[in-house]
Amino acid sequence: MSGKGQMLSVGIDLGTSQSAIATSTGARHVVDSYVGWPVDMVAKKVIKKPVLIGTEALENRSLLDLHRPLEQGLIKEGSEKDIAAVKEILGHLIGLAGEGGKEQKVRAVVGVPAETLRVNKQQLRQVMRGMVDSLIIVSEPFAVAYGIEALLHTMIVDSGAGTTDFCVMKGRYPTEEDQRTLTKAGDSVDDLLAKLVAERHPAIQFTIHMVRGWKEQHGFVGEPQGKVVVTAPSHGKATQIDITEEVRLACQSLIAPYTETLLDLLAAVEPEYQERVRHNVILAGRGSRIRGLAGELEKALADLGGGKVSAVEDPVFAGAAGCLSIALDADDSDWEKMTA
Amino acid sequence: MADGVGTRSARLPFGGREDRLKRRLLSGAVEDNLRAIENRPPGRLYRRRRVRWPIAFAGLAALAAGALVLAPRLGWGDFAEPTPGTLVATVRAGDDAAASDPDLPPTRVPAAVFPVVVRRVVLDPGHGGGDHGTRTPTGLTEKEITLDLARRLAERLGGAGYEVTLTRQGDERLELRERARLANERAADLFVSIHVNWFEDGRANRGIETYFLGPTDDPWATRLASAENLESGYALADVKQLLESVYSEFRQDQSRALAASVQRRLVRSVRELSPEVADRGVKSAPFLVLVDTEMPAILAEVSCLSSDEEARLLAESDYRDRLAQALFEGIQAYSHSVRKGG
Repeated sequence: MSGKGQMLSVGIDLGTSQSAIATSTGARHVVDSYVGWPVDMVAKKVIKKPVLIGTEALENRSLLDLHRPLEQGLIKEGSEKDIAAVKEILGHLIGLAGEGGKEQKVRAVVGVPAETLRVNKQQLRQVMRGMVDSLIIVSEPFAVAYGIEALLHTMIVDSGAGTTDFCVMKGRYPTEEDQRTLTKAGDSVDDLLAKLVAERHPAIQFTIHMVRGWKEQHGFVGEPQGKVVVTAPSHGKATQIDITEEVRLACQSLIAPYTETLLDLLAAVEPEYQERVRHNVILAGRGSRIRGLAGELEKALADLGGGKVSAVEDPVFAGAAGCLSIALDADDSDWEKMTA
Repeated sequence: MADGVGTRSARLPFGGREDRLKRRLLSGAVEDNLRAIENRPPGRLYRRRRVRWPIAFAGLAALAAGALVLAPRLGWGDFAEPTPGTLVATVRAGDDAAASDPDLPPTRVPAAVFPVVVRRVVLDPGHGGGDHGTRTPTGLTEKEITLDLARRLAERLGGAGYEVTLTRQGDERLELRERARLANERAADLFVSIHVNWFEDGRANRGIETYFLGPTDDPWATRLASAENLESGYALADVKQLLESVYSEFRQDQSRALAASVQRRLVRSVRELSPEVADRGVKSAPFLVLVDTEMPAILAEVSCLSSDEEARLLAESDYRDRLAQALFEGIQAYSHSVRKGG
């Protein structure tokens, strides 16, 4: 493992909604996966930057050609602007992490959705070329499992914005049969919630970003702990609306596909280990913050003899931290050299 | 509500085995990256999917590490190499007291003692349903080929008077143990599992290999066996019982003879068309589907989809007929040799 002393090792969770980085120096950063370029010279003078990233881009979106370059956890196909946006996000994250200046070599492990196509991994490689010195791309749920050392007889359910990844850890690097990726995830909940709110409150004006915020703050399944009341403009006037039922229905839409996938993967586990896996289901990703989700999944497992569903402590950084763990454990020979 | 999970040490039950397990996982991740870089199809950890590794590795590791201890006591060291005319029985011939003592070694008796006739054959088309097996970028799948070959072979065997059963009739997924159970329930005389290989060491490689149940001398498998054995939870007594039941019965020799017969005809037939195809030989390995069967059983890797040329040929009906005919002739030749007493 020679040379690790001069190396900055980083783990990156490249997410549809947010991307996070964890570094060997202990730094952790997260940015919203948005990139915006000024739409014209006026905007450029107002913004005073050639490109804005993350929250800054969202806040100034009226002045920007705004891109959310990842769709279902993958780089959108066929758009050079989106590829450029991914480069900006990754460059920004690595820039935030790189305290040693340009001389410092960077090794990166990047987590991507479980069933990412090879062509998209290759695209990611191209993007990373010249940006880091060495690269390993891993399945995101595998990274989560590795990070918390849930390596054997566990199931990771990584509920992100664009995808939900399921992965059974059998003490080996997960194969196709060990993993599933669903597009039922945070974004699909947002879309449904927006539709339900619009149906019930047709006069209310809102954006998908507001809906996302409501879900993240109040998301729940099962019984509500109280009314979910939010404020949004109606004909220009701030108005309070009750969206309890809409939030519940939207979040509840995850339960059936999650349950089905969970049971499907469990059935493929060797019978003697199924009970252990059932009692070691781990929720990760920001979807794990939906109140009552673990309990609902446990109800589904009860039909099979019971199970235990828990959630990672830090869903925002669990993926990036797992990638960092892999980076720190990997030998020199494990890395793909990425010098341009 | 969910409990928080996140402290690494709290999740790890392995103690000192942690590093080995992590190393294996990392190697898998690196291999997955290499596949993508080299534009190879996604891996399926080919062998591992077919084997109940905790059991198999327990046996393998015990063979590797404990053979010196166990062999003299079990009498394994006294075994002569099997010959075509020899069957191995699990009882000591002519010694009733010994027959009931599980600690005593099995003894060889002449094959002619057993009036063996091959009547029922169970054919097992590998994979099925959601388990595609190997597949080419053009969508040709192992599960489809194996089923088609099994049907062609069944037709030939049926025509020759055998009672033939297929473990699956269509595109359905079957657990390995279900396949073995079906063969056992049908009281089959032979079990032939049909598969198509994938060689990781190059697209140009073409070869045929046939497996029968037994220990492996593959150093990679042995290395893994040592690691896996620590996690198996099997006591030495379990391992010994397992090995006695698996490796000491007469069916191992018969399986080897069947495998040799099938392999010989497959290679001969395919080389008529493609002389460059490698004879990768008859090999032993503890495949679960073979472990659980109670009759002579083989697993034939009749071709390899990793080769572009083989993939092209496998799409042709004539080539599939050729493979089915070779399998048929292999089974026939074995059957005749058994009927003649070796």
